[in-house]
Amino acid sequence: MSEQPYRRPPITEAIIEIRYAAPIEPVHLERGDVDFRPNYPFQQPTVNYGVAVGVSASTGNEPVTQVNRSDGRRLSSMDQTELILLWPQSFIVAQLAPYPGWDNFFGRFARDWKTWKRGVGYRKVARVGVRFINRIDIPQVNRVIEEADYLNAYAKLPDEFGPVIAYGVQAQFLPDDKGCRLTLNSASVPSPLLDHGSVLLDLDVGVETNPPQNDEDIYTLLNEMRAKKNAAFEACVTHRARELFQR
Amino acid sequence: MTSIVVRAERTSLGQSSDLLTSLEPALSLQTREIARRIQALQNQPSLGSPSADTPHPSTEKPLHENLFDALAAVKVLTSQVAMHLNSDWRAKLFHQLDSLHDPAEWEEGDLPVQQASFATFLKAMLTINPARHPGLGLSHAGNLVAAWTTGKDRLTIEFMLHDRVRWVLSLHYEDGLVRYAGDAPVTRLAEGLAKHDPEHWFSRAPENREHP
Repeated sequence: MSEQPYRRPPITEAIIEIRYAAPIEPVHLERGDVDFRPNYPFQQPTVNYGVAVGVSASTGNEPVTQVNRSDGRRLSSMDQTELILLWPQSFIVAQLAPYPGWDNFFGRFARDWKTWKRGVGYRKVARVGVRFINRIDIPQVNRVIEEADYLNAYAKLPDEFGPVIAYGVQAQFLPDDKGCRLTLNSASVPSPLLDHGSVLLDLDVGVETNPPQNDEDIYTLLNEMRAKKNAAFEACVTHRARELFQR
Repeated sequence: MTSIVVRAERTSLGQSSDLLTSLEPALSLQTREIARRIQALQNQPSLGSPSADTPHPSTEKPLHENLFDALAAVKVLTSQVAMHLNSDWRAKLFHQLDSLHDPAEWEEGDLPVQQASFATFLKAMLTINPARHPGLGLSHAGNLVAAWTTGKDRLTIEFMLHDRVRWVLSLHYEDGLVRYAGDAPVTRLAEGLAKHDPEHWFSRAPENREHP
């Protein structure tokens, strides 16, 4: 069993995504409603639109608009914290707060992936990814929060600018030589708590180059990616932030 | 060191992409490519995340679907602060919300719980952090109402939209009933209740307490 290091982990959302090389047929998505109903009694259709407008540099040509519509299914538990998203291009298992720990979350993924594969069979996997969105709620002092006391990833700016009212930082890394890509997003966000300011720490670890194709290798990779995510998280937060997660 | 000033008026980083769109005709191809690469770095909005929209009851949907949408929205909202909530109370809260939205008991014309009212409720509860949790009700307009009763005394708080609260205290003295009322931003709720001995309502052993 892996240890849950914090009493109150700041994770607002944890996601495991398996993306396919080719879309799944709609009949399988509809079948998912039935297969997953015992654990996900609430099921809603969901639509994702992608719109691309191509504008030629030369004058006189009409812009070309392309609308891509993707129909999926959003399945959820009674308390709305356990989710599955079935898209033609991906199978997603998500957990909203309270985060029950990796063993529980990963166990649910493995259970549901097995159920899903029983229906759709083998499909070529194009990407395996793990994403954890953390929100760190920092108490205000005189309507100001010092994010540097809590985070090691933030915007470093000249003092002449004075206090920041909002910021966003994005960065990508290659944390190993196995094709993993770590995308870090950090930003100030409105706090749901009074007298607090909040910062987001969004860590996405994914493999798109030669991702594993069999279940055991996918599970091994997910556990490795989770370890990389944890290392990145610990590097991004300070001791004072860790104290907040233990209160 | 860089500080963040927390402003009551919320700003959204998403506005920067609108700005970029409006500026695009003025940008060179190279600059547009840089902007595209910067946008590509951003993680996409999570598909499991709650929608920021308040689900509006639809006349086209059956009643139970409208009630479900409203319940789902506030449960997802609760998940955003679940790390600060006691798990037992969270379960009890959901049970109360489910009971309040029982389709069999629903009065036609009433509105289900409003997401903005519920957000105000969560802020208040996480600030006053009562040891004794309230009974819940709904106003006709879908505002959540919380009530604490101590003996014959009663505190009722209505959680309004836009982070406002209204409260009424009813206290029974030997010479008669006294009522106090307040209407304030939720940030002032604790201050407003402070003069009326909040422990009279929020303590776990209210029966042993004297009047405020």
